[in-house]
Amino acid sequence: MLAIESNALSKVYRSGLLRRQEVTALTEFSIQVETGQIFSLLGPNGAGKTTFIKMLLSLAAPTSGSASVLGRRLPDVRVREKVGYLPENHRYPGYLTGEQVLSYFGALGGSHAGPLPGRISTLMELVGLSQWRTMKVKKYSKGMMQRLGLAQALINDPEIIFLDEPTDGVDPVGRKEIREILRDLKRRGKTIFLNSHLLSEVELVSDRVAVLDKGHLLKVGTVDEMTATGQAYVIGITGTLPEPVTVAARAFVIRLSQQGENVTAECRTTAELNRVIDLLRKHGVEITSVTRQRSTLEDSFISLITGEARP
Amino acid sequence: MKIVTLARWTIRELAAKATLYVLAGISTLMLLFAAFAIGTDSTADGLTITFFGKPASPPVTHEALADIAGKIEAGFAGGLFLGIVLFGVFGTAGVITDALEKGTVDLYLSKPIARWQLLLGKYLGSVAAIFLNILYFIGGLWLIVGLKVGVWNTRFLLSSLLLTFVFAALYAVVTFFGIVSRNMAIAIIAGILYFMLIAGPLEGRQTGLYLLSESGVYRGILDGLYYIFPQIPAMESGVIHLISGEEMQATPFVQSFFSAGGILGLAAWLLQKRDF
Ligand SMILES: Nc1ncnc2c1ncn2[C@@H]1O[C@H](COP(=O)(O)OP(=O)(O)OP(=O)(O)O)[C@@H](O)[C@H]1O
Ligand SMILES: [Mg+2]
Repeated sequence: MLAIESNALSKVYRSGLLRRQEVTALTEFSIQVETGQIFSLLGPNGAGKTTFIKMLLSLAAPTSGSASVLGRRLPDVRVREKVGYLPENHRYPGYLTGEQVLSYFGALGGSHAGPLPGRISTLMELVGLSQWRTMKVKKYSKGMMQRLGLAQALINDPEIIFLDEPTDGVDPVGRKEIREILRDLKRRGKTIFLNSHLLSEVELVSDRVAVLDKGHLLKVGTVDEMTATGQAYVIGITGTLPEPVTVAARAFVIRLSQQGENVTAECRTTAELNRVIDLLRKHGVEITSVTRQRSTLEDSFISLITGEARP
Repeated sequence: MKIVTLARWTIRELAAKATLYVLAGISTLMLLFAAFAIGTDSTADGLTITFFGKPASPPVTHEALADIAGKIEAGFAGGLFLGIVLFGVFGTAGVITDALEKGTVDLYLSKPIARWQLLLGKYLGSVAAIFLNILYFIGGLWLIVGLKVGVWNTRFLLSSLLLTFVFAALYAVVTFFGIVSRNMAIAIIAGILYFMLIAGPLEGRQTGLYLLSESGVYRGILDGLYYIFPQIPAMESGVIHLISGEEMQATPFVQSFFSAGGILGLAAWLLQKRDF
């Protein structure tokens, strides 16, 4: 069963009574997330990542398209019994202590494995807040709030956990701890859906990644597929590309395709490019030109995020 | 079940924010005042109620004394009513708007609760907190009058329920504006303005607003509005009548029940439609 499935999901926010304003947050967004996977949605600010989660949780209504979570077609209240959510900029009632937050929101949630008090101390331990259990949350630091938010997302032993920028404001040690928690959840068969604007934040844990920009899905794939971006070269040839060249070259280049008399080869190094040229020559293909392709919007966007990922 | 959980934590919220204690403190001061002020004196002519030791009523029989005690209780209830309108609305308007705050509403709504349940749970929690306060005040005064004057007025005790109902009707208006504006100040101002500028003038329309125009349509609209909105002043005087042992009209309560229900329903519908 798919954990999450969306079909051409679109969202247009409408606001303003007199001067009507429309913001297209998501356009025909279709993805499939398998159960037990860690799936990350990447994109710059305003890409529509949060909007997607909000629609899956019925916090916002889709303008068109459909979605289902755990096999249930949305909207469906029961879905939310099996879902945990760490919203971005979450705010808990400041008068509650960390422990009380968990018992309040735990009571509002669905079923829970075992009695609540036991789960609360286990989770506080897990996120490293044991010693702050009885402190009022208005005194919590940003990172502590984030840890509490993670514990809250897990309080009802959910099947799917939606985390919107979970490591925002968390120190490096804390980030590593959170990654460990996510891996452990995955081992226990949970599905995790992460939102982030940094590939570096998610590449260590994610099974699959989708890249979103201005509401459009640019690319979906594994982390390896995402990070493997090289330089594209356009090689002008006469005639068609011989089958053996395609087979041999595809074994080492990232991408190889032909459109008319142009062969586009995406290579990691110039040595790879030269190997492609050697192959072509060996099969008697006449080369008319070799040009470096200027990267497309999509490529540059992806290298933008991956670039940020590697300081 | 979820509604009860929400209501229970809302009471805790009001306790933690000290709202409940401030209200209880004001009530306590008034009760202490009453406990010191009210007393009785028996003379050859009969019993009199005293106020700080001075006779406040002509000497009467014990039966007639009950009447006077009822009037005193009614006077206190009238004061309590104004206190509830002001402090109650001030203290509880934030319950609705805080829950709709960005970052908080996401948490509530990601739980398996419907939006109307969130609204109702928060609403009932506030009303229950105010009820506790009313009960404390009325119950305390009931004891004081009972112990010091010997008059045990059950109707007075009963009035705590009705006063809570009056608050609930007004709070429906506050809730509605809280949901529409998501702004506590606006919700408070709307509630108070409704009480002062709409409910009052509509109640006294026959001797006030009616005079602005002879038009039947105009007067019809005024009548319509009167029946659409909760009839706060009519209910208040009903409660006063009840306490003083006079006859009480039930219609304002019945109409306000449906009116407040309608306002809450509309608020729930608006909440349901909203994108967060
Ligand atoms: N409630 C709303 N009303 C109107 N517009 C909204 C609303 N929520 C989001 N938007 C708009 O929708 C677009 C997508 O916003 P969204 O919050 O989904 O982006 P995001 O990818 O989560 O960004 P970030 O990385 O900054 O969190 C933005 O242009 C935003 O202004
Ligand atoms: Mg976001």
